[in-house]
Amino acid sequence: MYIIGENIHIISDKVKAALAERDAGFFQRLAAAQVEAGAQALDINLGPRKKDGEEVFPWMVRVIEEVTDVPLSLDSTNLAGIEAGLKAVTKAQPIINSVSAEEERLEAVPLVAKKYNAKLIALTMGKSGIPVSADERVNIAIEKLIPRLVEIDYPVSDLIIDPLVLTVSGCQEYAPELIEAVRTLQVVWDPAPAISVGLSNASNGVPAAGRSLINRVYCAMLMGAGLNRMIADPFDKEQNEVVRIIEQRDAGTPVGRLYLAIHDRVAAMEEQTIDDVDTADPEQMAVWKTVQILTNKVIYAESYLQQ
Amino acid sequence: MPVEIPKDSWPGAVNTVTLGATGDQGGSRTSTVTIGGERSLPFMHFESPMPHRPAIAMEIAPARPADWSAVLLEAWGATADDPGSWARACEEAGADLILLQFGLKGSGDEPVSADFAVAAVKAVLGSTGLPLVVVGPGQAEVDNSILVPIADATKGERLVLGLCEEGNYRTLVAAAMANDHLVLGKTPMDVNLAKQLNILMSDMGLGRDRVVMDPTTAALGYGIEYGYSVMERLRLAALQGDGMTQFPILVTPGAEAWKAKESKVGEGTPAEWGEWRQRGMNWEALTAVSLVEAGAHVVVLRHPESLRRVRAAIDELMASETA
Repeated sequence: MYIIGENIHIISDKVKAALAERDAGFFQRLAAAQVEAGAQALDINLGPRKKDGEEVFPWMVRVIEEVTDVPLSLDSTNLAGIEAGLKAVTKAQPIINSVSAEEERLEAVPLVAKKYNAKLIALTMGKSGIPVSADERVNIAIEKLIPRLVEIDYPVSDLIIDPLVLTVSGCQEYAPELIEAVRTLQVVWDPAPAISVGLSNASNGVPAAGRSLINRVYCAMLMGAGLNRMIADPFDKEQNEVVRIIEQRDAGTPVGRLYLAIHDRVAAMEEQTIDDVDTADPEQMAVWKTVQILTNKVIYAESYLQQ
Repeated sequence: MPVEIPKDSWPGAVNTVTLGATGDQGGSRTSTVTIGGERSLPFMHFESPMPHRPAIAMEIAPARPADWSAVLLEAWGATADDPGSWARACEEAGADLILLQFGLKGSGDEPVSADFAVAAVKAVLGSTGLPLVVVGPGQAEVDNSILVPIADATKGERLVLGLCEEGNYRTLVAAAMANDHLVLGKTPMDVNLAKQLNILMSDMGLGRDRVVMDPTTAALGYGIEYGYSVMERLRLAALQGDGMTQFPILVTPGAEAWKAKESKVGEGTPAEWGEWRQRGMNWEALTAVSLVEAGAHVVVLRHPESLRRVRAAIDELMASETA
């Protein structure tokens, strides 16, 4: 699993404060720690920075490149700011996060990606928002996103499609559809574009204590559909352990066997079943209840594990 | 050519809940209302019988309400001056139950007090034999300050006490459990929040036969489709066996519809909107019937003519049940 570390994100108060003070050490420590924890690239989301993006983005690129060689994913809607950041890159091939199928964005952003030889994350959403169904999301990729890149002679091998994870708290019906979108996107084009999702979005709005379980169960299911790249929290040890169990097919623990079974059911396009679960084991029951939320079989509520 | 109608069979069912208690049952009601028990989507009589019909509650206030439409006050006349006579008029008009809605004011400009509220509830219980839902103004502290004394003063009546919300559910659930009443849980229009409140209330040990939920709805033209789809999702989850979505549903189309401009405003409206009184009643009845079709177990109305119309619609929807 190729993890793009998500922790340099303006939504965090610490990041916000450090950015206001231009605290280079903070960002260098956070960048190095994410790479140490397994991140193979780093997402940098500083918001739109409409006023000073062209100053802030290159500053951040220089600061982080002092401590790591991994690719940087510049995550903003401020295209001028992104372009300024790209100019400052001296190490690995950078990533632009992101473009959508919205006409104006799709016109401009790929040209910048091409000019600076950047990879490009493309979201399967258009002007009218994110469609629920897997088919509609795949259609946006093959009817809008990929044709535009082919049109400007941008290599599809540098494209990363993000079919968009939404939270179980309010958008639960999207969860199983996303799994199918991930599955289908791998076979709709030759060469197949890479796929990445923002995993933690699955538990957006969920109380902090419950987030990791939802993320890692979803991760196992998405890996079953073929996901091998995601923007995620590299410090989440339990998530990393699930990734390891699946990658190494480690059936050494009962919970590990359950995660493998969940993964394999998705891979085989079979229904998840409680037959895979030791119902006497509370940890396995928590995983199972989470599967039922993510397959939209049981309505999510904050206390769903207590039900 | 014979057509085979496909039938769904569901593992779950809506809880059966009885509102009100007769003399034999520890209360003083002359009739009770039982709702819920369905094992299929609304009115799919061919799949599974609908054991109980949707009930109609009429909303009244402890004193003549200042914010009700003139159309409504004209229809109820002087009976609306006093909760006892108003409740009796509702019973005579054919209501199945009464919903007594308190506001923040008591008598005159005084804030609502426990004594005022208990007296109003007793007046209603004394003048009608119908089951009663008692709803506070919707501010957790005020609700608790009147509903706990009401619960104590009416032990055994199986009143429905509301609004039970995230901020005050512990107090209300405890008062209901101690005095043999039911509670009405209310959440913003969101399935996740509705289910969460049900889990919290149930965790206190409240029986499954003691909860009615109001997942919030809106009037025709003001988001009824969102309320409809929340109710639909709750019912589907209930039928699939999710115990925390299986509580019967009470909604308030009367209050919602009479807030809408189309029913509220009598002057300066386009001619094609038609006659004001008819329009208001149409708005209320259409909102209510849509919600009955979405699976509401109790609809709370305001106008006696709407009561008659919604009753007629329910009779038709239930006709094949009795045939």
